[in-house]
Amino acid sequence: MTRMKIGILGGGRWGQALARLAQAAGHDPLVAYRDKAEKPPHIIPSTNDPPRVAQECDLLIAATSASELRSAIKLARPGPGNRVIIAGRGIEPGSGLWLSQVVQEECDAVRIGALAGPAPVDEILNGGLCAGVVASPYAEVRALFTTGLHSTRYRVYESDDLAGVQLAGAFVPVLATLLGMATTLRGAGVGVHAMVVARGLEEGGRLAKAIGARPETLSGLAGVGDLMASQATTAHPNFQAGVALAKGDRSQGPRAIAETIVKLARASRVEMPLTEAMVEIWKGLDPLEAVQGLMSRKATKEHG
Amino acid sequence: MAAKPDAELAALLEDALYNERKRLEKSKDESKAEHEVLERLARALVTDDRHGRIDAACELVGMWADEIHGRFEPKMYRFATRVLPRALTGLLSSKPSRFRDWDLSPDRRLKIHGDLDLLRQLCKESTLILVPTHLSNLDSPLIGLALHQAGLPPFVYGAGLNLFSNAIMGFFMHRLGAYTVDRTKQSLLYKDVLKDYSVRCLTTRHHSLFFPGGTRARSGAVETKLKKGLLGTGLVAWQEMLEAKRPDPDVYVVPLTLSSTLVLEAATLIDDHLAELGKQRYIITDDEFAEARMVASFGRRVLDLDASIVAHFGDPLDTLGNPVSKDPIERHAQAIERRRYVCDRDGLVQRDEQRDHMYTDRLAGEIAAAFPRGAHVLPTHIVAWVGWRSLELRTNSRDPFRLVRVPPEARRIPRAKFLERLGKVMEQVLVGAGAGRWHVDLPPSPSSVLDVAIDRFARFHKTRAVAAVGDDIVVEDPKLCMYYRNRLLFANPELNA
Repeated sequence: MTRMKIGILGGGRWGQALARLAQAAGHDPLVAYRDKAEKPPHIIPSTNDPPRVAQECDLLIAATSASELRSAIKLARPGPGNRVIIAGRGIEPGSGLWLSQVVQEECDAVRIGALAGPAPVDEILNGGLCAGVVASPYAEVRALFTTGLHSTRYRVYESDDLAGVQLAGAFVPVLATLLGMATTLRGAGVGVHAMVVARGLEEGGRLAKAIGARPETLSGLAGVGDLMASQATTAHPNFQAGVALAKGDRSQGPRAIAETIVKLARASRVEMPLTEAMVEIWKGLDPLEAVQGLMSRKATKEHG
Repeated sequence: MAAKPDAELAALLEDALYNERKRLEKSKDESKAEHEVLERLARALVTDDRHGRIDAACELVGMWADEIHGRFEPKMYRFATRVLPRALTGLLSSKPSRFRDWDLSPDRRLKIHGDLDLLRQLCKESTLILVPTHLSNLDSPLIGLALHQAGLPPFVYGAGLNLFSNAIMGFFMHRLGAYTVDRTKQSLLYKDVLKDYSVRCLTTRHHSLFFPGGTRARSGAVETKLKKGLLGTGLVAWQEMLEAKRPDPDVYVVPLTLSSTLVLEAATLIDDHLAELGKQRYIITDDEFAEARMVASFGRRVLDLDASIVAHFGDPLDTLGNPVSKDPIERHAQAIERRRYVCDRDGLVQRDEQRDHMYTDRLAGEIAAAFPRGAHVLPTHIVAWVGWRSLELRTNSRDPFRLVRVPPEARRIPRAKFLERLGKVMEQVLVGAGAGRWHVDLPPSPSSVLDVAIDRFARFHKTRAVAAVGDDIVVEDPKLCMYYRNRLLFANPELNA
């Protein structure tokens, strides 16, 4: 197997975890970090010259948050020869653009993909096993990423449903926050928990269908897989944001993403009662009132 | 056609055999030679005779290539470009009694917009693919006229076999760079031969024209869904020229939006569109274009008008849909940089059909986005829009099948009310034009727009889309009204009467 040089934009813990996975697959990562605080340990080759990473590596993985992706791409300036995989959360807060659109706006790379799925960073850094799904309409981009990261430590599954994977990446944090909130509310138990998971994925699937993505993507690693990881430990940031929300602290959680999803759903004429309720709670609605409102909705079919 | 493994080749030939036999069953005037070749191919496929299979396939491909191949003649082109534009516009003039007063200047009838200097330059340094919107069979000669008027060289183009059935038209079309496309041939092999032919044209630096909508827009709307088969040949040709280390490998794509006051075949096309909401006939051979008298009448009554047709050349794109710089130095840098989309770090072209499909998808998306930007809103379009909207408001329905059956008495709108709605829509259209989303060619006031449109609608079609009767405006032919109104569908969310 030819050793490949894999560029990673972002030296944070997620960037480091991906670099370690690349090493585990027998390749050479090169991490672009922005400042000393983000510089990875010596075991991971790194540079604070992002354009160098874009020049030296055909495969670039953007391991930044959704809000930092634009500036990372502007700094690195990927070109026509680069294949860019976005390892962030689906939608840019503020603009409401899909992250793949952000990349296309900021550089000449067109061969773009997205990585999603459970990302227990600490576990990966400690040698834990995991899996993810890489989606791109370009078969060669999927194949390159699989070659670069698939190993006995990390299984890579491929999909051509870029829109679905990006939607799942954006939607799961909203659901995870809702789960955190639901489990904290007075009177809520296993029933509420299960209802949120099942009905949440159903409404996500409806939106997927409406935007030309595949609903079943929500049932895969990018959807169910990521959601399981988000609620398996109560320390997860999104789960914690939900707990805080139930206690009246509205300052945390993926509010901007939820608002964007609701806008998208309205434009696509899709009902998303759970996500809409979350947005209303962030705006000030009492969570218990929101739950009552949801429970008093008319009876309807399970699917469709 | 790329070399194919045996199994794939056999599948391709079986598909060709099946489709050709089916086609020959329907048509009665096919040559004996074609039947014989198919028989040989069938025998070779059954007996698994590899050589026989290849021989028969080569024969079939050879026959098709011979049929497709254009016979461009520079002498004929020089003659035609000297004589035809003036002859055509003269012939189409409606002033036969004042022979000496004919205004033979073609640029009065056909308005041309776009960065023509850039296009003339790109013609010299690269190969161009022109991708026009398509409304009428008259589009090809009119585009020929537009190219000549714009000082651009001739383009080769594929024209439906049915258009060659007229001996004189066929003679000129062949010799002016048209090659033959037989849309009744549905086999993958035939489509491959066509694509190969297009690649050969491009790699030999013949500027080419494809109608990416595939056929005339039945609904009258600007095309939004494009066919990608021939469109993708630009990308293949570019890669072949890179592999051959040609100094001029670049292929650029130029969208061309045609806007017509009236369309010769409008009545037939909209009927077909409405039927297509059921099932499409696809190849119409018995429309207005098939009647020489109708074409001449259309010419005299419509094309003679000032600016009855607008041809708007859009900004050029590369074969992946990226914009091409107007600055020559930047363009050169783009050309070098662009190679990395298909070449590896050593500069070697990496062929990848799936990737190229995606690149062509991207290109098609950019062309579809460029078409409305080059569209010109003309009086007939906007008046038809308001007429149709009035029917929608009257019936409180948007169902086209209901609207085309609205009884005559319900199709009358008081002129003042109509003008009020028209004024409102004109304002919205002007806002869109100001933002660069489309263009307008309209007289200044709603009443003059209405008068011009009513005059135009009365000129050619047997029935009028919109007419003035007393103090009322009447949607006389709802189907024609729908057809002309559909031209503004790209602005749909922004127009409210």
